[in-house]
Amino acid sequence: MTISEPLSLKNKASNIGFIFFGLIGILPFVAAFVYALLYSFGLVGAANSGFTTEFWISTWQSGAFIKSLVYSTVVAGTSIFISVSIALWLTLKFRKELEHPILAFAMYLPLAIPGIVAAFFTFQLLAKAGFFSRIAYAFGWITEARQFPDLVNDPYAIGIIATFISIVTPFLLLLFLNVYKNERVDELAQLSQSLGANKQQTVWRVSLPVVLNKTWTLIGLYFIFLLGAYEVPLILGQESPQMLSVLIIREIKQYDLSRLSEGYVVAVIYTVIVTTAAVLLFSRKNDVKHEG
Amino acid sequence: MFLEVQHIVKSFQKEEVVKDLNFTLAAHQTLSILGQSGCGKTTMLKIIGGLVKPDGGHIYLNGNLIDDVTPEKRSIVYLYQEDLLFPHLNVFENIAFGLKIKKINASETTDRVHQMIASLELQGQEKKMPHQLSGGQRQRVSFGRAIITNPALLLLDEPFGSLDTGTRARMQDLFKKIASEFRITSLFVTHDLKEAILMGDHIGYMQSGKLKVYENKEAFIQDDHTGVQKEIDFWKALTN
Amino acid sequence: MKANWKFFFLAALVILVVFPFAYLLLLSMASEWRFPELWPAYFGMRNWEQVVSSETGLISSFLVSTGISFSVATMSTFIGFFISRGIAYHPYKRTITLLTYFPYILAPVVFAACLSYFFLKLGLFGKPVGVFVAQFMVAFPYALIFFSSFWGEKTKSYEELVATLGGNQLQAFRKVLLPIAKNMLIICFFQTFLISWFEYGLTSIIGVGKVQTLTIKVFLFIKESNFYYGALSCCLLILPPVLLLYINKRYVFNKLI
Repeated sequence: MTISEPLSLKNKASNIGFIFFGLIGILPFVAAFVYALLYSFGLVGAANSGFTTEFWISTWQSGAFIKSLVYSTVVAGTSIFISVSIALWLTLKFRKELEHPILAFAMYLPLAIPGIVAAFFTFQLLAKAGFFSRIAYAFGWITEARQFPDLVNDPYAIGIIATFISIVTPFLLLLFLNVYKNERVDELAQLSQSLGANKQQTVWRVSLPVVLNKTWTLIGLYFIFLLGAYEVPLILGQESPQMLSVLIIREIKQYDLSRLSEGYVVAVIYTVIVTTAAVLLFSRKNDVKHEG
Repeated sequence: MFLEVQHIVKSFQKEEVVKDLNFTLAAHQTLSILGQSGCGKTTMLKIIGGLVKPDGGHIYLNGNLIDDVTPEKRSIVYLYQEDLLFPHLNVFENIAFGLKIKKINASETTDRVHQMIASLELQGQEKKMPHQLSGGQRQRVSFGRAIITNPALLLLDEPFGSLDTGTRARMQDLFKKIASEFRITSLFVTHDLKEAILMGDHIGYMQSGKLKVYENKEAFIQDDHTGVQKEIDFWKALTN
Repeated sequence: MKANWKFFFLAALVILVVFPFAYLLLLSMASEWRFPELWPAYFGMRNWEQVVSSETGLISSFLVSTGISFSVATMSTFIGFFISRGIAYHPYKRTITLLTYFPYILAPVVFAACLSYFFLKLGLFGKPVGVFVAQFMVAFPYALIFFSSFWGEKTKSYEELVATLGGNQLQAFRKVLLPIAKNMLIICFFQTFLISWFEYGLTSIIGVGKVQTLTIKVFLFIKESNFYYGALSCCLLILPPVLLLYINKRYVFNKLI
């Protein structure tokens, strides 16, 4: 039986550490949330005149927030779904090949490209006067730039989704490969086959469940990240609906001060959603290590 | 007496882990304690070593009250069951660790470490890293590291638990040899009956947080709780 | 044949991965590349020669970014290392760890927008120090989460071991804990460096356009539709990570949980 107590909890250094953690890790976020909350109820703010629920009501009624929420969820969800599928497929099909040094290095290269560069690149490729458009012209499929389909700043968020996929898939691929090795899915698959399952059954009943079981928290995390993405939808998104972060910033930074509070309403709702998601995701995560 | 433990009690979250611990130990002697898992022996050792604060009671070492003395000043070394060698240091540096902490000069350190390595029969292994050693070798380095600082008291928490039978027997011999060579005072905790009888000058039995130290080995053997009689009967029955 | 299609597929994948780098490099060296040309009218070093000139401000942006990111990485890593120990050894470890995840998940740009009032009042608005503080607040939780896997029963045992061998806390850190954590410290440093290096939204709000990091520059060029300089800044932005990858890819891969 090893029940251990921390040696130096009564240490002054530990206490200072906690104060610091509270100051830097907790206080700013609480302050930001409280400020946004107060602003949304009209209690602070240059153009505001006291407690009112009008901003909450008008945000709800205008539907802009709901549209943005649904839009963001669909875009993020689609991107995650496709990325997970591609990454899983690559993991299962090419696991051995990906250990080759050139491929192993190539897999890490996309990590060097941040969102803003990826968005810029996608724009360069998919815009009406972009690279693909010129290729289409060279093949004679179009005669003017205008004829090239809307792939960026479009209602189907094609550019945004493509960029999200290109950013998230490499991370997921590396993650899945790692988990595959650590959980010894290879051996589990062989075991499954020796118990009579065919390849198809092994994949769906053993390999995939094991990998997903270990990674669903991280996948959920990436979904939340995409939900609150800023740079990519800023460059590749359209006027309306917009993804949540872009909407929030646009509302908060606008010149019409009387409408500022609506931006904070959305900020408050967004924070509540993210917090709830975080609590759900991580309280389910089992991080207790049991000693034998 | 060199070590005096008086009325030590400890509870964790309403569970009494150590109940009214009382015993004494003379200098240069080994008290072996037989106990199964969960009986509170690790907690008892950690309390004596200063790593856990008891809820009540007192401990005297060489006549001095050490209740409020921090672990690093007690000169009591606690040895874990797993060897816990520093992974980034080789054999020599692991053993020399305690001496370097005390800022002993380099040449004296080197001499003493080499002496210890010889006693431990580890010649030639000085530069090896922990992961290159076998379980028995690691345990020996762990010993050497603990003993080289001449601690007043050595606390061994099932030190041979993870070793195979052959290595275990060799380590038991080695411990007895080193204990007498370095005149060590120690508490040796084990769940192995034979080991408890072999290792100690005195012997005790711990169960559910209570420790009973026996006058002599005969008293220990005759007490039903210890299970010695059952063992003897078992082997006797086999030969009949 | 199965082997063949796999080979071609993977080759295509490699090309797909390398293409963005090649394209951006090409674009950065180009000029007057109008529709429908498949190849730029001008291709050469003219744009890159402008990097050092004060007009584009790219060198100063590069230096500003480097300075801020280096500071953020150093502070987050070391402070995060020590504080994550306090958290890991704390009886309320689970609740506190949960709290730590929250700032990590929140979109930095939204956080910055809500916090700008306080930054204004503290006089940090529009200054590199302000950007540093804001980015630190975002990188710090990451470091805490990163090091949470380091502290546990084993490190506790090491600390106790050093204590019984006669060493105090400081010696435990200097002689045992820091050397053992060396690799993790390096990786965390580079990870937090990249978090700061790639940061845009929060920087644009707290910096208000006055603190011009490289990412801000990329966005400015995009807005001006100056795609050649945009590509150039992208190349500068990607340069350090690619170098890091080349030296050791562990530095860039994020192993969160």
